[in-house]
Amino acid sequence: MTRRKHRTAGLFIPALAADSPLRHADPRAKLLLSSLASLAVMLPLERLGVFMALYALLLLWARLLPAALRQIWRLRVLLVVIFVVDWLFISADLAVIIVMRIVLLVSVFAFFVSTTAPNELRLALERLRVPYRYAFSLSLAFQSVGLLQQEWHAIREAQVARGIRFAGDLQRALPQLRDFVALTVPAIVLTTRRAWGMTEAAYARGFDAPHRSAYHTLAMRWTDWALVLAALLVTGGLLFIR
Amino acid sequence: MLLHADNVAYRYPQNQRGLPPVSLEIAPGDAWLVTGPSGCGKSTLARCLTGLIPHLYRGEMTGAVWLDGLNTVTAHLWELTERAGLVFQNPAAQMLASTVEDEIVFGLENLGLSRAEIADRLERALAQFDLAPLRERSSLTLSGGEQQKVALAATMARQPALLVLDEPLSMLDSNASRDLVASLATCAGEGAALVICEHRCEPLHSLPGLRTFQLDGNVGDSVPDFTAQSGDAPFAPAPPFTLNVEHLSVTLDGQKVLHDVSFAAPGGQIVAIVGRNGVGKTTLLRALVGLQRHTGVVEVAGARPDLALTFQNPDVQLFNATVRDEILYKLSTPNMAYYAWLLRLLGLDAYEAIPPLLLSEGEKKRVALATALLRAPRHGLLLDEPSLGQDAVHKARLMTLARALADTGRLVIMTTHDHTLAAQTDRVLLMDNGTFVADGPPEEVLPPSTVYRLPSTETL
Repeated sequence: MTRRKHRTAGLFIPALAADSPLRHADPRAKLLLSSLASLAVMLPLERLGVFMALYALLLLWARLLPAALRQIWRLRVLLVVIFVVDWLFISADLAVIIVMRIVLLVSVFAFFVSTTAPNELRLALERLRVPYRYAFSLSLAFQSVGLLQQEWHAIREAQVARGIRFAGDLQRALPQLRDFVALTVPAIVLTTRRAWGMTEAAYARGFDAPHRSAYHTLAMRWTDWALVLAALLVTGGLLFIR
Repeated sequence: MLLHADNVAYRYPQNQRGLPPVSLEIAPGDAWLVTGPSGCGKSTLARCLTGLIPHLYRGEMTGAVWLDGLNTVTAHLWELTERAGLVFQNPAAQMLASTVEDEIVFGLENLGLSRAEIADRLERALAQFDLAPLRERSSLTLSGGEQQKVALAATMARQPALLVLDEPLSMLDSNASRDLVASLATCAGEGAALVICEHRCEPLHSLPGLRTFQLDGNVGDSVPDFTAQSGDAPFAPAPPFTLNVEHLSVTLDGQKVLHDVSFAAPGGQIVAIVGRNGVGKTTLLRALVGLQRHTGVVEVAGARPDLALTFQNPDVQLFNATVRDEILYKLSTPNMAYYAWLLRLLGLDAYEAIPPLLLSEGEKKRVALATALLRAPRHGLLLDEPSLGQDAVHKARLMTLARALADTGRLVIMTTHDHTLAAQTDRVLLMDNGTFVADGPPEEVLPPSTVYRLPSTETL
């Protein structure tokens, strides 16, 4: 029996993110927090370690640590390979810092997408003066990550159902190359078709209208300002204080 | 006159398909049913009437369409879409927002409405389509039928003067279909004009003043030379067997989708599984072929059954350069007599050398069906909504094929919302809340006098 897991961790699922205290934080605050955390990859090893410890505490408080760890676990093979290669060919210090940087970036991604709906991202970007057309497109792309994941599973299942066994074929690689076409061609077709379908649907509901109004609004609360201030102080301190 | 189409025709740049010349006049309150064989241009007509053609397409358009006094070539697209709403055939591709509520709000914001007006229309749309319990749900987690209701709600909430619907009933259950027809009647009563492109016409006949526009098409599927009979089927009879399903349960994301399902189906039967959208019909088929993790027993004589499954969306499995390559893929010693018989029966003989991805949705579904059948599954075939995108001729072909398989002792199980199809099967299983609530011959479970109004599903 084929096991079908619902790989949803790391993607915005209202029911999963609902119990996080950061779920209802202003998306602009979360965007800033994520940007600062991404900047922190430039820190030297010791300071990066301090930052990551503080960041892990934030995720723990926000009940997002398991989601972040799940994302990191999925990359375990890649992380091990990068660590070993860097260690063997350059140095252990570099291997550690490269792996820490990847782990930090992955956990930032997990934090942001599991607490922020695509529409909230659009609102945040609009408030940050990004033109609507681009903000909407970016939020749609953000949302489509989950769709692509679903479609990839659907394609794989459909091909398995018609007798194509990828697990065994993978090991025999080249002679079975055409079987990978069985995955990639439908994936490309579905993605292209989905993108076109969304474009049509958006225009059919007035995407290009010059007179949009806004139903949802954003408002920074004191807790959001506190989050922004704390993030600025910690990152600024670690980056600039000698 | 709300819409005037003067000899409008269109041809897609990538192939010779499109829309033959059409002239049509639509007044406020009119209700038009556009029918015609698969691939005859119904969806293209829908795009021409709403201005998406020529604004988003680069093919060759001739003739003219005037919508509320605006020429669809020269007017801005947003001016046209404010007047004409289009609900597309594939609901999943129309989901633009992260929640059901935001999906409806998106189109209302683009009209520039006030917050109070948006809130009011949102609540009415949610109530009209029974979507209030789903308002915070992600569209990713909805069934096809639920997504179709969301797409309808999002477009109808914009209150366009002309509402164009491309196969709106294809994924809706009988109750949702009845509710939609009632909503459409209300819209027409309030002065909106309706154009409905649909194969499943019967539920629409209750629309007052419905007129039919037959689009014959100069392109599309070959008209059938329907000579293949079930007696011609070139495959050997299967030995007698019974598919046993006992205490089958499936839990997805913490929710029980199938609950303690048990039934036995002997080879030689055609079984229809019917029920509301989202009750677990597709999940059951997936469990029967082993694609869905489950508890309970699915077996034939103590072993896993050898069943083929065709999916709702054929695009997930087609990838070869020609229809022939697609159907024969990975078969070392294909039964070519069976291949020829299938091609003829499914009306695909003219497309053997054509890339399957260039075919219409209905044709692609038939190619996917042929790929499943040529694998010669020992125990039979599972079909997930096989009538989607199929016209009456191809539904008849499908039932001929199903009967041919059943006559050789194989089992055919199909999920369907199309009760005219279900009525031709040997046995109907009615599902609700992840289990069977009725089991019997179609005339018992689907009373002829209430084909579209199942008493047992009235409260579902």
